[in-house]
Parts: sequence; structure tokens; C-alpha cells
Amino acid sequence: MMWRYLGRRLIQVPLVLVVVSLMTFLITRATPGDPVQIMLGMQTSPEAAAAMRAEFNLDRSLPEQYGLWIAKVVTGDLGRSIRLNDRVTALLAERFPVSLQLAAAAMAFALFVSIPLGVIAALRRNSWIDYLCTGYTVLGFAVPNFGLALILIYVFSIKLDWLPITGIGSSEAAAGGWWTYIRPFIVPAVALGTLQTAMLTRLLRSSMIDVLSQDYMRTARAKGLLPATIVIVHALKNAMIPFITMVAVQFGYMIGIQVTIEYIFAVPGMGSAVLNAVVTRDFPVIQGFTLVISAFFLFANIVADMLYALLDPRIRY
Amino acid sequence: MPLLSVRNLKTRFATDRGTVRAVNGVSFDLEEGEILGLVGESGSGKSVTALSIMRLVPEPPGKVTADAMTLDGTDLLGLSEAQAREVRGSRMAMIFQDPMRSLNPVLTIGRQITEVLHRHQKLAGAAARRRAVELLDTVGIPMAEKRLGAYPHQFSGGMRQRVMIAIALSCNPRLLIADEATTALDVTIQAQIIDLVKRLTRERGTSVIWISHDLGVVAGLCDRVNVMYAGTVVESGPIRELFHRPSHGYTLGLMGSTPRVDGTSTRRLTPIEGMPPNLIDPIPLCPFLPRCRVSVAACQARPPAPRQFGAGHWASCLADLAP
Amino acid sequence: MAVVQSPPPVAAPRIAGSLRLAARQFPRHRAAMVGLICLALICLAAALAPWVAPYDPIQIKLSAKLKPPSFEHWMGTDHFGRDVFSRLLYGGRTSLSVGLLVVGFAFVMGVPLGLASGYFGKRIDNLLMRLVDAFLTFPPLLLAVALVGLLGPDIQNVMLALGLVQAPVLARMVRGSTLAVREDVYVTAARALGAGPARIVLSHLLRNVMSPIVVQLTIVFAAAVVAEASLSFLGFGTQPPQPSWGRDMSEARRFLGDAPWMFLAPTGAIMLCVLSINFMGDGLRDALDPRAWRTRRTIGQAER
Repeated sequence: MMWRYLGRRLIQVPLVLVVVSLMTFLITRATPGDPVQIMLGMQTSPEAAAAMRAEFNLDRSLPEQYGLWIAKVVTGDLGRSIRLNDRVTALLAERFPVSLQLAAAAMAFALFVSIPLGVIAALRRNSWIDYLCTGYTVLGFAVPNFGLALILIYVFSIKLDWLPITGIGSSEAAAGGWWTYIRPFIVPAVALGTLQTAMLTRLLRSSMIDVLSQDYMRTARAKGLLPATIVIVHALKNAMIPFITMVAVQFGYMIGIQVTIEYIFAVPGMGSAVLNAVVTRDFPVIQGFTLVISAFFLFANIVADMLYALLDPRIRY
Repeated sequence: MPLLSVRNLKTRFATDRGTVRAVNGVSFDLEEGEILGLVGESGSGKSVTALSIMRLVPEPPGKVTADAMTLDGTDLLGLSEAQAREVRGSRMAMIFQDPMRSLNPVLTIGRQITEVLHRHQKLAGAAARRRAVELLDTVGIPMAEKRLGAYPHQFSGGMRQRVMIAIALSCNPRLLIADEATTALDVTIQAQIIDLVKRLTRERGTSVIWISHDLGVVAGLCDRVNVMYAGTVVESGPIRELFHRPSHGYTLGLMGSTPRVDGTSTRRLTPIEGMPPNLIDPIPLCPFLPRCRVSVAACQARPPAPRQFGAGHWASCLADLAP
Repeated sequence: MAVVQSPPPVAAPRIAGSLRLAARQFPRHRAAMVGLICLALICLAAALAPWVAPYDPIQIKLSAKLKPPSFEHWMGTDHFGRDVFSRLLYGGRTSLSVGLLVVGFAFVMGVPLGLASGYFGKRIDNLLMRLVDAFLTFPPLLLAVALVGLLGPDIQNVMLALGLVQAPVLARMVRGSTLAVREDVYVTAARALGAGPARIVLSHLLRNVMSPIVVQLTIVFAAAVVAEASLSFLGFGTQPPQPSWGRDMSEARRFLGDAPWMFLAPTGAIMLCVLSINFMGDGLRDALDPRAWRTRRTIGQAER
């Protein structure tokens, strides 16, 4: 039964991606000015320009260009970057893992803070911890991640000199031990993950509060079970269901919003690649990368739905 | 010596509007093997009484006091929370009204049974599972072995309540409290569950407090009945006595408003008029006075004291009702 | 039917006067009132910037560069000697006006879409929602970056991009409410009385879906302010020497250690805006949701 649902969802993926690809295509093609001129710069020979036009099919009509591009995409060929003279897929292979690691680090931070904070705030409502929690989430929602990044850099890198601000994915970092590798991730991960932390803490807290007021919690207490059992086995297991699905969705979403953090910390990830591509009018990169990012987000959403079905025995599609 | 002895139990809740006296001086004894009915309308304090005995009242905002509350010699009120956890589920157990909501939806029922066995009897693994299967058999769940891995939503209402009973009786408690255990079930299922409880508790000598607002259920099951109103017991007696000689205005009202299958079909049901009592500022007179149809002049002057009406039958009523 | 003139569409009683009731509820929410007042002050200060700002925000005065906060310069000066406070006020004009316009854009783009989708249902609904899904899949900041980066950093492009990003959520929400209201008996009654579809849509549905829309619009506003700052930060929004919170933060990076006030001031301003808007939104949400109303209820009905 679940496979049927999964199948239905997977079918929708290419449809949505087609629309996304169309959107990216139209945006890039909407750029004013002659694309070849922009790409090659001012001093360029007519032959070079013509060659470029031919190579990138820019002499064809728009629908043809789109069709050709899509045809290639389906076979896994995302084209070549104009500026970097490399295949888009190769660039992806370089950049995507880095972005993924940053997102994972941010999410790890978010989980590390939100789970205990959310649970304790729910258990001890209206205590100082609960107010701390509310204060933290309110601020976490309000501070823009690049603002927080600057604050953290100021405090931890400049004033205290505890943590570095560059070096993610650099060769020195890879050469050293795991701590040297992880260190440059810390500040950007906290800056990126704070919004998620606020969201997840709030979600877990309200989820737990809801669960704790349920009748089956009263039954668990009537059985004389230990408090740890009651909270972890009876309450948390229920409260975690919406939480975990939110984690999956947020993780997929993060890749798209990382760009400011990647910019500040010089992280060689997807966001900064797209940023550069926009500035240099590198259309294949823009199109290919945004397509992949969107696909990843869709995938994360499907995973989230599957997780929900897996975790909640009442749901069987 | 009675199994359970409660003297002057008072349970109060602090609210924005004042202190709610949910239970306002309840005293009764429960003998071994006895089935006591606790009857009253919503808000009469019956559930809170049960929760107080089970030490399940959250304090704050609640506060439970009593001159005495002992189960089989153990002072229930003096127990620390950790000690109370030992007693709950093992020596006294409780089942609740809606079994769908009272069972954890994400845990298998096998798990929900074995965890009690594990907690109080240190049973684990295969031994626990065997015992769980035995229990499910006892309460009449077919194909018990297979059902251990099932989830609550896969059972019917009656089955779920049987599971609850199995869980409650798993450690052979001396006291079982059932709070409106059949209210949410179909009438035919109700009868089955009542029979089941009667049989199992008689077999094991378990004492039962059966809470209900339904006189009919109580009549078929209980040995004695306490009628509660506004947080106090207003009448108490053996079941036959109570039904033949209701001696409190409220009990009379309850009888009058209960449909009877065997009664004359032309008899009108007489509802009890008026609003539920104020539990924050109780009037110093009989709490039922504003709604009572049989009150006498004396009721306006002083609060009623318990009066004896027969063997083990007393009521706090100043009126002399019926023959 | 005996009536000659069809009476005006039946007003759904449960929403009659609900706005009035809501307006009474709102002031009870303290945080919301604080938020509202704070926001009003910020908007006022920003709007009156030319008169309130002590200095010219783009006037370079290198002799006064990188000065810490003092009596003359409340928030210090930047690397060009420009008064940070004045730049803050002027930057606020951009951010807040963009924010409001984005709200307008999102409303204009999203609400009719959602209404149509919810009301007409079936095919149209499916089609439009697929479109919305696609939009929601697109990483929003990148979409904005791409649009502005490729089409040019004019203010209209910024607003279009940000509005486009926010519209889908609004559309979804409106669609949901519309679907719910469409089945409402009052709508059926109105149709039975001969009211045409446009009339029904406008008088019934809009009134009912207004409450979640209003709350969502506050969220859109806050998100737009942050998004505009993000875009400027990345270099895609307001261009120098125009004061802009995001842009100023970006320039402050080089002087992080020496002049932290340069980035703290705009960060604080953004946070203050977002906090005020959020609190206000909370208050609005509680005021518009009857279940959250703090009514004077009596416990113990004997008091009645």
C-alpha cells in the first residue's frame, strides 16, 4: 500500500521539476542584452561569438533551446559551464557534498539544542527554562542568519580567537585530524542552524505539550512506570513524529538558503556557485544547479512523508 | 479490617477564580472482594476521588489531604512519589473511560502489557510475552499470540477495554478502580465488559471501585453504592437498600431520571432541574438544596448530618423520604 | 419565489462584527501592543528620516571615520565618516517600503490565485497547485538572487522577486480557507437566492479567509524585510551609496573588529523590526481566532 503512495509521489516529481526547469530557463533567457556578448566579454571576434552561439544553441528558437537542454538533462548531461570550462556535473560533484556537510552540521547543531530544550521546556512549563526557551526561539526567529554570522565572527573569531572563519573544505583541513576538519564548520553551522533550532524547539515543545495532555499519558502514570520511561517511551515517541518529518523537510530546504552563509565564510558550496554563476551569467550552471537543488528539496519532502508513515502506525497508505 | 480506608479526603485545586473543592470530605471503607459503586453527575468529585486514591492528582495545582487513606495497611498519603510509583500498577490499578485514547497509539499492545510486568514483576523477554498472552486469553482476546504485535487502532472498542483490563490486572492488584469504563462502549459490549470484570475480580478477590453516572450499570454489578454530590458522599448503602429506599433528595432525583426497562411505559422521566453546584464557594447548607424537590424547612436552617436508615445504609438528608 | 428583488447575500452571522470583536481583543495582548507601537515608531522614524536624521547619510567625511558611538554620533560612524544612525534611518525607508510593497505584490499575486483555485476546484485547482508546488520547490533566496541578478538591481525587480517568492504560500493558504468556506451552507444559501458567483466570492469568501491572510501578511512583511537585507548584503539589492541595512552590513565586514557598531546597528534594526512584526502577528492571530479569546467566563454556572 505504501509503495503505491510512494509511486504516486515519485511520478509527480518529474512534473514539478519540468516546471522548475522551465522557470529557470525563462529567467536566464530573460536577461537583457546579448548573452554571448555578456559571456565572452566586449572584445571578441565574430568567429568566436558565432562558435559560442552554435555550441550553446543560442541561434535556435527558445522552445528548441529548452527542448535540447531538457533532452540532455534527462540523459544526465547538464552541459558545460561557460566560465569554468568544466562539465556542470563535475562541478556539482565538487560542490554538492560541501553544501551537504554544512547543512548537516547546521542540522546537527539544531538537533543538539532543540531536542533537550524543547522537551524540558514542555515538561517544566512556565519555569525559567521555559521562559529561556521562549526567549531563545523568539530571538532565533528574528535574527537574520548573516547578522548572526557577523556577531559570532566578532565574538568567537576576532575577540576570543577560538574558532576560524574560513577553511571549510580546504586541503589543510582535510589533511588534519577530524577536529581540524570540523572546526571551520562550527561558526557557520551555528549561524545557519539557529533559525532551524528556533523552529524545531518550538515545534517539539508544543508537540510534547500536546502529547503530555493526552489520556494515554495518564494511563502510563497509573501503571507506576518510571518517569524516564514515561517521557521517552510514551511521550517522546509520539511527539517526535511531526518533529522528525520537519527535520527532513528543513534539511532539504537548507541547501537553498545557505547562500549568505556560504558567501560570508567562503564555503565552496552550491549557493556560492550559483551566486558566482549569476554574476558571470553562466547559464548552464545556474540552470543545472537550481534544478538539482529543487530536486533535492522535493526528494527531502518525499522522505519526510515516508518517515511519517513509517513512524506512525495509524497511517498506512 | 477493610482493604481500603478513606477518612475525610479533601482534594482542592488552585485556580484563577479561587480554590475549587473537588472532593470535600469523603469517607468510606472498602472491604476485601467488595465491589463499591461510586455514582454521581459530572463534577460530583467521583473521578477526582479515584485519582486522589491513586495519587495521580498533580500537586500543584492540586492538594490532597485526608485524616487517613490506607490501602492494606499502607498509608497512601504518606508515600513519596517514588514509593507511590511502586504501588501504582502493582497493588492498585485503574482503567479509564475511553480505551482508544487511553492506550498509546504508537506502541504495540504487547509492549503496553509487558512493560508493566517488567516494571513490577521484573519479567522480561519470553517470560513476559508468555504472561501477556495468558492475560489476553483471560480477558477473552482471540488469537492472543498474534495480537501482541498489533496496535490499539487495530482493535475494536470492546477489545481495547479488555486489553486495558488485562493491563490493570496483570500484577494482581488488590484494588481495581474503573472510571466510567463502559460509558464509551455499545450497550451489548458494556454487558460483556461488566461480566468480565465481575468474574475476574471475584476469582481473584480483587476489590473494585466502579465509577459511573449510570445507575443501571451500577445496579447490575455493585455490592454497595456511594452516591456523591458536590464533592461529598450524600448517601451510602447496600445496593438493594439504596434502590428500594433512596433516602437523599439527590438519590431520589437520580432514580427518577433514570429510564427503566421494566417500568411502566407511561411514567415520565423527571430530570433534576437546576445547575451544577458551585465548588469554589459552597453554601454552608446541604449542597443539593437549590435543586432539591423534597427539601423541608429545616434544610434552610442547618447543614444535614449523616443519618442511619438501615444496616450499613446512611444518608445526609434531613427529609424523611418514602416508606 | 415570490420575492421580486433578490435581497443582498445572506451575511454569515458568525463573522458579523467579528472584526470589531477582534479589534477589542487585540489591545489585551501586551506583547502585540508593544510590537505595534514599536513598529509604528520605526516606520515613523524612517518616513520622517529627512527631518529626523542628524546628518546627511551619504556625505563622506573621512576625518570622522570609524568613530565609536558618542554624543555627536549616536551610533558611531562608518569607514567613510558617515553617521551610522542617519544611514539606519534612511536604510529603514528602503527596507520598510520594500517590505510593504512586497506584501502588496504577494497579496495581489497570491490571493486571487488561491481564491480561484479553491473556488473553481478540480482542474484549475490541480493546475494552479502544481504551479505553486513548483514555485515552493525553488530555493527562494536563489530565485530572488537569480531574478535580480539577471534582470538588474532595480527596485521593481527586487519587489517582484520577493513578492513572487511569498505569493505561493499565501495562495496555498487562501485556497485552503476558500475550500473550507465553499462548502459552507451560507454560500449555498446565497446561491439559492440568486447571487452570482462573483458576488459570492467577494462578499463571503474574502471576509472569511481574511483572518489567516492578515496574519500571514505580517509574516510576509517580516520575511520581506529580511530578504531585502539579504539581497543587499549579497550585493544584489540597493546599490551604493544608497543607505541600506543589508549593504551596510556587508561593508561592515572589513571593519568587524575595529568598528563593530557598523554591523550591530543594522542587525539590531532588522531584529527589532522582525520582533515587532512577529509580536504584532501573534496578537493578530489570537485576536482573530475566537478560540484564543480571553473572555470573562464564570466557573460554576451557579453564578449565572
